[in-house]
Amino acid sequence: MTGNLLLGGGLTAALAAMAICFAQKIPSARAVKIIAIVSAGFITAASLLLWILLFENDFSVEYVAAYSSTTLPTIYKISAFWAGQQGSFLLWLLIHAIIGAVLTFRRTQAAALGIYFLLQSVLVFLVLAKSPFAEHSAQVFEGVGLNPLLQDFWMAIHPPIIFVGYALLAVPFALSLGSLLTEAASRSWLEEARHWTLAAWSFLGAGIFIGGYWAYKVLGWGGYWGWDPVENSSLVPWLLAAVMLHLINLARKKSAVLAQAHVAATFTYALVIYGTFLTRSGILGDFSVHSFAGSNIGTVIALANALVLIGGLMIILVKAKQLPQGELYKSYGEASFIILLSCLLLIFIATIVWIGMSMPLLTQLVGEAAAVDSDFYIKSTSPIALTLAALMIYTFVKFGRTISLGGKIAHVGFLAMLAAIVISAQGETVTQEFQPRTKVSIAGHEVIYEGQVFQEDERQKFYVYTVDGEAIRALTKLHGNGTDAAREPAILKNFGGDVYIAPHAAQIDSVQELMLTKGLFAMDGEFGYVFEDAHIDYDEHNQPIQATAAITITDGETEEVIHPLIIVTPDGGTSKSLEVFGGKRRVRLTGISGDLDKARLEILPTYEKLSAMPITSTVSTKPFIWLLWLSVTAICLGTLLAIRKF
Amino acid sequence: MRKIFLIVLLVGFVVYAGFNLAESVTPYVSIAEARASSSGVQVKGLLDKNFAPMQDGDEFNFSLLDETTGETMRVKFDGIKPDQFDQAYHIVAVGKYTAADETFHAKKLLIKCPSKYEGQKPQA
Repeated sequence: MTGNLLLGGGLTAALAAMAICFAQKIPSARAVKIIAIVSAGFITAASLLLWILLFENDFSVEYVAAYSSTTLPTIYKISAFWAGQQGSFLLWLLIHAIIGAVLTFRRTQAAALGIYFLLQSVLVFLVLAKSPFAEHSAQVFEGVGLNPLLQDFWMAIHPPIIFVGYALLAVPFALSLGSLLTEAASRSWLEEARHWTLAAWSFLGAGIFIGGYWAYKVLGWGGYWGWDPVENSSLVPWLLAAVMLHLINLARKKSAVLAQAHVAATFTYALVIYGTFLTRSGILGDFSVHSFAGSNIGTVIALANALVLIGGLMIILVKAKQLPQGELYKSYGEASFIILLSCLLLIFIATIVWIGMSMPLLTQLVGEAAAVDSDFYIKSTSPIALTLAALMIYTFVKFGRTISLGGKIAHVGFLAMLAAIVISAQGETVTQEFQPRTKVSIAGHEVIYEGQVFQEDERQKFYVYTVDGEAIRALTKLHGNGTDAAREPAILKNFGGDVYIAPHAAQIDSVQELMLTKGLFAMDGEFGYVFEDAHIDYDEHNQPIQATAAITITDGETEEVIHPLIIVTPDGGTSKSLEVFGGKRRVRLTGISGDLDKARLEILPTYEKLSAMPITSTVSTKPFIWLLWLSVTAICLGTLLAIRKF
Repeated sequence: MRKIFLIVLLVGFVVYAGFNLAESVTPYVSIAEARASSSGVQVKGLLDKNFAPMQDGDEFNFSLLDETTGETMRVKFDGIKPDQFDQAYHIVAVGKYTAADETFHAKKLLIKCPSKYEGQKPQA
């Protein structure tokens, strides 16, 4: 409730700032500065409140119950903030609002600020449409917790960086429309827009690349890019932002390109919102690897998208006559022509990715939904990307001396990235079953699967391999009930490239289950079990916390008594396995009936047996993959460096 | 002259992209439609519990059940049994049906789990 009020305050202030900006002609008046800071202050307060709720385990808030738990490590409570849709929108809004406050201090045109605060108001609407502060209808005493996949350092930084990119892209869009609204023919906005676009391109790129590195290193999907709609939806604005950047640069010298720069600014930001719509509205539920579960926020985002695209294009159309006309280029050998042609190729690539990711939506409109496979993207974009690379090399050789140092680094980085994408794909991939401690030769490497190592607390285990004499481990995070939650690959890094091993799920024979009745004897073939007693602990609200059973196990000669327990969680309960008779048996309590008369016990394979089991693994080589990480770093740093002019 | 250059380029791109698209689109169809189709499709269904899923070397076999019609179809996936296959509540098989062996040859399986995020991992 308080959170929504704070957001309401942020909205009111943003609307007020917008109204003042549109009403006045003097840029960055004092009132605007103050109101912008007030709006950002409210939004920051709302964000801090969400963090406080997460840290205090306030499960009366739906979002906290859905993405956090009392057992979640503190560090991940920070990133649980943006684990879900509602929180990630709030994060976007927070960054947008802070940038907005900064803008008021930079002699930004009043009309541009007005547009920016209009966008800020729209973002607050989006957050309020599906608020992270919504309260639970039922009483909950423990949260679901953060998905183990997301409990990772890279997950902590990947979304914020992407959202910094998105928020920064609002600035050139606002500057473009602001300039059109006041003096359409003016080119004075270009210099400022160039700085912000460079920063946006660098951050959005960094966000995308970090996502790719995370997928490669942690998720074990075998690669860094899967052409998933969520990935594509950030790639398209990044490609268009590159087009905008070059058109802005060109327009500073050639007034005839001004119209194109305006159009690029509108399309880039519209595609940011469109990507959000596609991945957050739930319409891709059947098609995307990691879109968010269905929600009714789609209409609100669709309206925001229409506002940005139609609003932007309308303003451009109305002012089109006032925009400077003229020749775009004189000859085909000229730098302007090559840059414009390269921009066109980038637009082609962006269009292909856009068509591919929108296919389920587009086909739904005319009939049955359909999707494209990832071959479509690779097949269609490769020839265009190759042509682009050729054009870039030509430009570099011919006009290289006019490019700034940062620009040089970024362009070389881009070319190296294209090369690394092709080279790293030339490796071999083999999937086969590995018997423990048996040497296998794959793609010029000697691979031995050594077995599994379990950690005491049953929260993670490792698959251990030896590759060319070096031991590498693949981490698998486990659910509370001991089943695999997230399986990471084992990677051996070499100068020649990585050896990448992704273990697959062990084919465990069917787990035996015993239903025990109080006081009665039951056998699992080797051991006998008697369910002696059980009790349930309640908290002060009379809600069950945990259930404990007492079970006697016998091998015919000696007896052992165990006290397994189930801890109650919102989605049922979790329990750990217990070893008896020195590890000869491993059992897990999975249920106790309400009248405490029956207990369900799982008979699990022993750790020893698990470790000796063969494991199917996919082994692949990734030649010179480090070149990819190096080149994308060069792209981002070079772009940042280019903000300062040399 | 310059306009012509641009038009040629644009038309070329549209033809090129359209051609690639027509080749790559895999429509979502029912089991009956998949049987009738000779091109790549996506079929969504449940696991047919009457047929035990089986990993056979590099191939994974199972039977897909159409929720609405109750029709079943053998599926041969060119790969390893995906994670969380056993917890799947929906399976989407991407591939092509071959009449010769009355089997759907899947190059990709998408597993839909009831829990958020998890298991919707593409198996390339």
